[in-house]
Amino acid sequence: MKHLTRIMLASAMALGSMAPAAIAEDLVVGFTADANTLDPGNHRNRETETIIRNMYDGILTRDSGMNILPQIAESYTQVSPTVYDFKIRKGILFHDGTELTPEDVKFTLDRLTSEGGTGDGQTSPRASLLGPFKSAEIVNGDTVRVTLSEPWPLLPAMLPFQEVVSKDFVEKVGTEGLATQVNGTGPFKLVEWRKGDSVIMERFEDYYGGAPGIPPVGKACVERAIFKIIPESASRVAALLAGDVHIINELPPFAVEQVRNSPNAEVMTVNGTRSFFIAMNVKGEIFDDIRVRQAVAHAIDKKLIIDKILGGNAEAINGILSPDAFGKNKDLDGYSYDPEKARALLAEAGYPDGIEVTMDVQGSYKDTAQAVASLLTKAGIKTQVAVGESGLLSQKWRTEGGEKTGDMYFTSWGNGSLDPQGIFMPTHHTAARGNSAGYSNPEVDKLLEEAATEVDREKRAEMYRKAEAIAAADVPYAYLWVPQDIYGVSKRLSGWQPSPDSRINLHDACLK
Amino acid sequence: MSLARLIERLLQLIPVLLGVSVIVFVMITLTPGDPVEIMIGDQNITAEQEAAMREDLGLDRPVHERFFLFLGNAVQGDFGESFYHRRPVIDVIAERLPATIELSLVALIIALVTAIPLGVVAAIKKNSMTDRLATVGSLLGVSLPGFWFGILLLMLFAVQLQILPVSGRIGFSSEIEPITHFLLIDTLLRGRPDAFLDALSHIILPAITLGLPMTAILMRVTRTSMLEVMRQDYVTFAEAKGLRRNRILFRHALKNALIPTVSVAAIETGSLLGGNMIVETVFGWPGLGRLVVESIFVRNYPLVQAAVLFYALTYVMLNFLADILYTVLNPRVKL
Repeated sequence: MKHLTRIMLASAMALGSMAPAAIAEDLVVGFTADANTLDPGNHRNRETETIIRNMYDGILTRDSGMNILPQIAESYTQVSPTVYDFKIRKGILFHDGTELTPEDVKFTLDRLTSEGGTGDGQTSPRASLLGPFKSAEIVNGDTVRVTLSEPWPLLPAMLPFQEVVSKDFVEKVGTEGLATQVNGTGPFKLVEWRKGDSVIMERFEDYYGGAPGIPPVGKACVERAIFKIIPESASRVAALLAGDVHIINELPPFAVEQVRNSPNAEVMTVNGTRSFFIAMNVKGEIFDDIRVRQAVAHAIDKKLIIDKILGGNAEAINGILSPDAFGKNKDLDGYSYDPEKARALLAEAGYPDGIEVTMDVQGSYKDTAQAVASLLTKAGIKTQVAVGESGLLSQKWRTEGGEKTGDMYFTSWGNGSLDPQGIFMPTHHTAARGNSAGYSNPEVDKLLEEAATEVDREKRAEMYRKAEAIAAADVPYAYLWVPQDIYGVSKRLSGWQPSPDSRINLHDACLK
Repeated sequence: MSLARLIERLLQLIPVLLGVSVIVFVMITLTPGDPVEIMIGDQNITAEQEAAMREDLGLDRPVHERFFLFLGNAVQGDFGESFYHRRPVIDVIAERLPATIELSLVALIIALVTAIPLGVVAAIKKNSMTDRLATVGSLLGVSLPGFWFGILLLMLFAVQLQILPVSGRIGFSSEIEPITHFLLIDTLLRGRPDAFLDALSHIILPAITLGLPMTAILMRVTRTSMLEVMRQDYVTFAEAKGLRRNRILFRHALKNALIPTVSVAAIETGSLLGGNMIVETVFGWPGLGRLVVESIFVRNYPLVQAAVLFYALTYVMLNFLADILYTVLNPRVKL
């Protein structure tokens, strides 16, 4: 036995010394999920996009302040409410050395939007991200003119979701080849995709430099950058602490202290774009009374939950929009935490002994929902938390105007573009996809519809401010908070900033 | 066993697999949650755009039509395209399968080489300290949740001691042109001992985590059947003949005692595939288990259907193998 132990120890040590440390220049990101495909036009997945975006550039992009900036386009102008011109930068090379032309940009847009555009009779699942796109044509030899079938001010905010492919390359390798091969214009070239394990990339030496609006302009800082897939959060934290990776996304709040106390890693946060709220079934027997909904709003101590459960990493909201969003109404007072007032409102509504309700929530938000439920219960709204799987819950609650069976739904809506349209319309317009509360107010509908096509920015912002105030007064939802995205990073890392749209752009990231 | 009997057993697989495919199809289709809805996520799109996406995935057809289409294609080896990968699911599964099989085999080997000696020792030294320790150990082995034990191993060997890597199958600097797609074999075939050790260092922790419950079960089975066998008349007879104890134990007793161990091991190998889902997630192992879990969450019907069918096939085949092994080890039993 002793002998065996010795052998095992010896081999463990031998293995330890053999375990190769990452090459000094490798920048490794411990990332939650692998890409589904490397074809920029043939997926519908945020993680896939984050990975692809390091190898492909777009017509437009965003900086870490969520400002829309030209990238492959040199500049863009709105010619009319339905026509946009994008002047294409010269001298941009694809990884195979060929030069990007306006023809490639037009091809990309056509491939994304036309029926059967991705080949084999299939249409790009990203088509709907381009809204009422009608056509793209080349004018003056260097400009791509995009025509919409109706006014849609969201176009510039939505274009950063798309990346430009090479027409010749796609025609050569087909959609099938594009799923695993990369010929982009981005700062990194693909070296190897070890499916389910990692995406290994190396610096593209002939990179044109990227968006001039996002300095530093030039080649990527590191020689090699790797997305290493580690889905389990505890393992991701372990990899960061062990020095195996230099950036991890979705650092769980419970591990924040652990990372802060470690000698070689630190925590970085950025305001997210996902608003959390509790939908109350406004057509249900209990919540059709606004006083009951107000009681719920008064019963929740948002500050307490943000401090105690979310580790301070969230910002409270009094309306649907994120504090960073365009058109946010900053004058909303919200409902103060006042359990006595909540009880009084319940009594007024005919429930002197309080009410008993169920709150649906998906597993990952269970802890927070439990805390909210205990606060509600304290104020006379006896709340039982029912955990369900997200696909199941969205079918139950996102009924698009159909009847709903539940009482409350603790949920959220992401808004990667930070344009109010992307979150306000789906959650508050009558019978919209994400209108879990079943809310319907013709005045809000009208404002949202008009704002969707209003070209004057200030007028548009005013419409959203107004709509947010009306909705807040109607309380179809108890608006909660916008959490920050939390990253763990190595202390060796410099030049990298987390971005509210949860992308991880590695162009500027360096290792000390 | 006659060849005819073997063929008959193999033919019996057909109704089993047919039944499984019906059950899988019905279950995943009846599970609430709409693949298109999940794919669109938090976005406002028009009804026409949504209908177009549904049509694109073939979900606009009625359920019965989809079922017969699935069955008809499946018989020809076509399981459709993954909704998310937008490639044939069979390709996607084939890419992930070697990692899962390699991990399962290493876990199986670890389980066998630790469980059998421990079980035998525990039986020989019944009620001794060793026996008690082994019993408590095996109880822990089956009780410890895999994800917890795995993370514990990670914290100790990867974070504290830093002698083993946290996740993955092989380091980034070890690039190996695949031959068999089993890295432990390919690295040796390519004459890369450094890469072999790299791959080995990656597989140790997940394999131990995966193999632990199986080790515990096999140890218990070996111990029990060893004790049983040692009470048999022929062992007493052998002792009476004055045979050496080691000869009795290893020539006579162990061979018979291993019969249940082997058949349990074959069947439990099927459950290794199931346990893989958790272990693969904890250790970022690029295998099939993780892929299936992710696919279930997003209702990637074609992938889940094909993968479950594959699991069922493996399970049935392993059971079949266990039966055959049983007849080989114990000639009194016939198929």
